[in-house]
Amino acid sequence: MLSSKSIINHRIIKEALRIRKVEEKFLELFSQGKLNGTVHTCVGQEFSAVAFAGQLKKMDFIFSNHRCHGHYMAFTGDVRGLLAELLGKASGTCGGIGSSQHLCHNNFFSNGIQGGIVPVAAGYALGNKLKKNGAIGVVFIGDGTLGEGALYETMNIISRWEIPLLIVCENNFYAQSTPQHINLAGDILSRAKAFGIRTGQGETSSPEELMHKAQQAIDYVRGETKPCFFLVETYRLNAHSKGDDDRDPAEVASYAEKDFLNIFRNESPAYYQMYKEVVDQEVDSLVEEILLEEELSPERYHQHEEHHTGNAWTPLETINKRQVELLNAFFKEKIAADEKMVFLGEDVLSPYGGAFKVAKELSFLRPERVFSTPISEAALTGISNGLALNGFKPFAEIMFGDFMTLAFDQIVNHASKFHHMFNKKVNCPVVIRTPMGGRRGYGPTHSQTLDKFLVGIDNVKTVALNTLLDPGRIYQSIYNEQHPVVVIENKTDYGKKIAQQQLKNFVYEHNEDPFPVVRIRPAVSAPTLTIVAYGGMADMVAGMLEQVFAEADHKPELIVPSLISHLPVDLVAASASRTGNLLVVEEGSGFAGIGSELIAAVTEIVPHKIHTRRVTALPVPIPSVKSLENIVLPDKSRILDEIKASFQ
Amino acid sequence: MGLLQEIQVPLLAVNDTSLTVVEINFTSGSQVKKGDIVMVFETSKTTYDVEAASDGYIQYLCEADHDYEVNTVVARVYSEAGETAAPPVHRPAINGVAAAPVVKAGPASVWEGETLFSREATRLMTEAGVAPSLFTGRDFVTAKDVRDLLQPASGIQAPKGEPAVTRAGNAPNRLPLPADPQKVIVGKLSSAKKREIEYLGDIQSTGLTSTINTFVETNGIFTHINRSLKHLKDALLPVILYESARLLADYPLLNAYFTGDAIAHYKEVNPGFAIDIDKGLKVLKIARAGQLTIPAIEEEILRLSGSYLDDTLDIDDLTDITFTITDLSSEGVAFFRPLVNKMNSSILGISAIDARLQRCTLSLTFDHRVTEGKLAAQFLKELKDRLESYRAVDTQAALRGVTCFKCLKTLGEDLSGVGFARCITPEGKDGYICQSCLKGF
Repeated sequence: MLSSKSIINHRIIKEALRIRKVEEKFLELFSQGKLNGTVHTCVGQEFSAVAFAGQLKKMDFIFSNHRCHGHYMAFTGDVRGLLAELLGKASGTCGGIGSSQHLCHNNFFSNGIQGGIVPVAAGYALGNKLKKNGAIGVVFIGDGTLGEGALYETMNIISRWEIPLLIVCENNFYAQSTPQHINLAGDILSRAKAFGIRTGQGETSSPEELMHKAQQAIDYVRGETKPCFFLVETYRLNAHSKGDDDRDPAEVASYAEKDFLNIFRNESPAYYQMYKEVVDQEVDSLVEEILLEEELSPERYHQHEEHHTGNAWTPLETINKRQVELLNAFFKEKIAADEKMVFLGEDVLSPYGGAFKVAKELSFLRPERVFSTPISEAALTGISNGLALNGFKPFAEIMFGDFMTLAFDQIVNHASKFHHMFNKKVNCPVVIRTPMGGRRGYGPTHSQTLDKFLVGIDNVKTVALNTLLDPGRIYQSIYNEQHPVVVIENKTDYGKKIAQQQLKNFVYEHNEDPFPVVRIRPAVSAPTLTIVAYGGMADMVAGMLEQVFAEADHKPELIVPSLISHLPVDLVAASASRTGNLLVVEEGSGFAGIGSELIAAVTEIVPHKIHTRRVTALPVPIPSVKSLENIVLPDKSRILDEIKASFQ
Repeated sequence: MGLLQEIQVPLLAVNDTSLTVVEINFTSGSQVKKGDIVMVFETSKTTYDVEAASDGYIQYLCEADHDYEVNTVVARVYSEAGETAAPPVHRPAINGVAAAPVVKAGPASVWEGETLFSREATRLMTEAGVAPSLFTGRDFVTAKDVRDLLQPASGIQAPKGEPAVTRAGNAPNRLPLPADPQKVIVGKLSSAKKREIEYLGDIQSTGLTSTINTFVETNGIFTHINRSLKHLKDALLPVILYESARLLADYPLLNAYFTGDAIAHYKEVNPGFAIDIDKGLKVLKIARAGQLTIPAIEEEILRLSGSYLDDTLDIDDLTDITFTITDLSSEGVAFFRPLVNKMNSSILGISAIDARLQRCTLSLTFDHRVTEGKLAAQFLKELKDRLESYRAVDTQAALRGVTCFKCLKTLGEDLSGVGFARCITPEGKDGYICQSCLKGF
């Protein structure tokens, strides 16, 4: 057993005591009902925080997890902000929005998602490497996180790309309540070694030694610009959160005896008492003061914004180039000249240039800004999130829209959340592009239109390109966005040219919104049928308007939104209110789809009854065989039949 | 060289098959510049300026103060001065023959491209022997367009084209009564008055209208209403527009009209209110009043009244009115019989509030061909109940209305503990006076 009589820096003891005092205060406040939600305390693990978070430079960064208070205090020193945050006050570090698990202050970030924070940290560190600013980062995980795939995707990439990130794994032998022997196989350090990552090891019961090893690891990552994996053996003396502790009390007691602060208390009671009085006084008076403060007002958190669709119309411009050429031209221009631009994706290096050639020649133009990733959708999206947090404008390509499910956690729990849960301190202007749609015979997992899963995510815009508008114009608006954007491209649209074949008896026009709405209406007649189609379906429906007129005896007006997460409800409602008929065509399946949302929103504001109809994919996997694929996806003849049957 | 512009009488409102030329701003042969207002038409609702489309020389084919049928060419603009010689002035055609067989609805006449026919339209036309040339100037023709041509205003939608030609029960044109200049001074009937007669005569001349009246108790009614109003304090019009627009959704027959052989129900509720301040009687539309709040309706009334006074009303402010409200409350009338407007089935009249009896009369005239007394009575009863529900029930609110006519102190503010005395004010009106003002301090 280590004795405190050995040489130990009292500054780190004071630091650890302060963390412990705050953690104990939280438990006390929780039992008094003054904390909303939950706390995960690190009592017993404090020296890990002091050793790693406490020895970083200010320009460095930290990503942490649910058990992050110690890391936060050791890195930022902001005890007051933390106390106020957990007490739910407006002066808290995130205004009380994030509370215990979601903190953000001066390059410190934490999130309540295990594993998912690792690629984000890797992206942030990659940003530092691109900036060549000498800053590094630490991401704290627990032994429980070793079960998550995102970690391994990221370890592979940080090793291959030599990203200066230090992964600190705090092994307290329990994943929440489950002891390690039940769910961990193999050896922990061997995992990192398998990826060729340098490893280190230490324990919180030997703080001075741990401090030394931590500094060595930090120096290695900074000096070599390479990742490192450091395993800290430690023990949590309190429950996972509050009452959920089924561990053997004798086991807990044996670790309490080995706890360095407890040893110090027994061996140097006078010092211990003196230091404790100081932190007690500091923390208690802060809490007293904070308890009197105001909470964040609802208006400062969220204000409803009325969405008005622009009603000034400009003729559609025909562009005699294929959509993919225009996309490629946009990215070429940006990658060559723009300092914030980063392009990531699978197989995107030239000469291949991505599965659909959007990235053609980009890596020739600027190799250091184009990253061909392993098949790791979660990690590449997370790395993009981290780059975006670090001031870059990353464009991540997910090769097929079907694979968006693998990136979903990064969109929903990270990109979407950062801005609001960190009380607007940061933006995450990431862009995730992906092609969707069928009609190429690629079958069930390479043909889907999964847009309905990607709309309605807080603070994320979802854009669907079409063949009626210059994609460069839309991408410029996307580039200007300060928050995450998901872009759905369409496989069959890539090869088509823009706004070709304009029929004489219709007027083709778009409004001037950042994500323009296209409208195709009868030249002079009042329309009698409102049709909304977007993405790949817009091209098909635009090409059959004359047929709709001739065979269904209706004068159609087609409205094509490009921003499908904020539909032009007012515009569609005004049109449907005049025609009395509203048809929505979408390539995804119908249940709880875009059409359902649009029709519900329109009928809420149209005073009289209108006839409505959705034409969608059938609710089965998309078959590869052509004859069946044509039946499952909406095609011209089905659309026509539905119009004839529904709008008499 | 040659003709630059041909000015025809425009179709501005479906009810006006002819318009009056009220101003001719140049003489024939004069030079005009692009953008010059060359003439002004008057419709039953507003005036309409015609601008020269290019520089040139004008030839008028009409005279001021005469009526001309829609589509008649009334002026031409030529590029050379000599071309305007010898203008053959049209004889004005008033109460002329039926409209031309093809009525090109306003905007349709600008299409110069190909006309497309739906399959169903082609079938119908072949069946009925209708020539495609009848649809020249249209972009698309559906089966409905063909049917509309064959049977104008069929179906129950409000027609966008010409209304039904036949009007059941219409009195035949009468010969004018003799007017002996020795005994009477004959004043020319203004164009607006002629329209008004036609407009109101359309329904009233059948004699099939009836009026029912009800009282609304107004005691304390403004306590709440005034809180929603900024400018039109103590006025019932905004709240009546608000409530009736909502109520009409349940009474489609009162938001409809008789086409001659069918009842056309309006799809929207767009009540209008009658106004007559120096600029002639007009009905102004509060579009979709059923979706507006009381303050928004008040704002709309003020906006429209402003436009009315400034002569900047839009044609849209005057058309497609589905129900009319006429408010004579400021004129002190006890009750009156409002007249139903053309293409309406009912009209609501608001009389003045009787300050002593604390009530006001609402009168509803309705077209018996569309609905009947029982339904109209139900509507009026429900409207009365809704209005009376605004009355303040708490006594404190009632107190706030009691004010000393001299010092304007309210009963609520009174500290005497004696209350106010009812009195007759020096103007002879009923009022209250407080103890201090009555006895002196």
